[in-house]
Amino acid sequence: MEDAQLVQDFLGGNHQAFNVLIKRWQDKIHHFAYRYFASSDDAAEITQKTFIKAYQKMNTLDDASKFGSWLYRIANNLCLDELKRAGRKRATSLEALKTAPQTEVASSADEKLVRNEALVLLHKALLQLPNDQRMVVIMKEYEGLTFREISEVLDESENTVKSRMYYGLRTLKKTFDSWNINQEVFNYD
Amino acid sequence: MTREEAQILLMDYIYGELDEAKAQELKLFLETDSELKQEFEGLTQTRSMLQHLPVQSPAEQLVIMEPENKETAVPSENWWAKLSSLFIPQSGFGKTGFAMATFVFLFFVMGAFSDMNISVGEGNFKMTFGEQPPVQTGYTAAQVEMIINQVQQENAEMINQYVLAAQEQQELQFQQTLSSFAEYLDTRRESDLELFNYSLTSLEENTYDRFRQTDQVLGEIIQTVSTN
Repeated sequence: MEDAQLVQDFLGGNHQAFNVLIKRWQDKIHHFAYRYFASSDDAAEITQKTFIKAYQKMNTLDDASKFGSWLYRIANNLCLDELKRAGRKRATSLEALKTAPQTEVASSADEKLVRNEALVLLHKALLQLPNDQRMVVIMKEYEGLTFREISEVLDESENTVKSRMYYGLRTLKKTFDSWNINQEVFNYD
Repeated sequence: MTREEAQILLMDYIYGELDEAKAQELKLFLETDSELKQEFEGLTQTRSMLQHLPVQSPAEQLVIMEPENKETAVPSENWWAKLSSLFIPQSGFGKTGFAMATFVFLFFVMGAFSDMNISVGEGNFKMTFGEQPPVQTGYTAAQVEMIINQVQQENAEMINQYVLAAQEQQELQFQQTLSSFAEYLDTRRESDLELFNYSLTSLEENTYDRFRQTDQVLGEIIQTVSTN
């Protein structure tokens, strides 16, 4: 059943339809928040808050067919709220990351270790992006949203979204280069 | 196509959102601009590296809607309580007024069946039940007094019975109200206990997960330190 139909059912009084929507979207919202904060606890909290808010505000959803974009917008706003709330603490931890990573030259003996370290650095590089760029990169690269959908979620123009994506990728590339992370590291499987 | 135009289209091209004609045009342009082509390849490689980023999925459903019957259930009331709530006022003052009105209503109904007669005149208030005794001018004063006493006694007994009946009805209503309220409290308590249990379970699971993650991170740190 389509999301739009489930939304209509829920608004018509069938509250179990919302359970189906939760099951369908929970992992996506959790993945989104996890990639944003790199924390399972934060991701779980944001996911729960997102669905609670969606439950409370469902009657304000103008177009039921855009439930997904609407849900991402809620999650996005909650992520930003969380950043504001715990900004100082997070800023401190991110500041520490900027000087931390220095990858070693991998020998055959510790290839797996290097790969694991590279995965950690990958997430750290993502966390170092400015918030607006990080949000776009996650939505585009991992959630598979189109630029149009991202512009709807963020309430920005498509060109602005593309611009953020461009600069986000460029920044990530520079970071990977400076940390000596390349594609070969991930081919040790 | 200018270089600026090509840069704008680069994101659409990388993510496959460019139509065939534009994509072909951009592809040709990249062949003529080695710097832009190098940037394109670098960004594509960055994309492929990002795909390796691990992610965690929640082990269970994080938000669960309550079953519909529980949600829509009202505090348990039997059919009598529902019916009586439609007719009987719920406030204390309303209930008292309703009881008095009921008593007066019953009084007059019973009076109608028992030929009640009320008369006021010359400073006297007379209320009689049953057939009016025929006026007999020939009664003696003692007979009249006996009749009056008898009538007064009957009236007193009847009023007493009416009062007792009204009291019984009030007590019955009061007990039913108490019973409904007790059932409502029980249901509420059970619901609160369920919610409390669920919260405790969630807290326990979250705590376990955090311990597990902490152990995992500590293990990785120890492994990293020991390897170095």
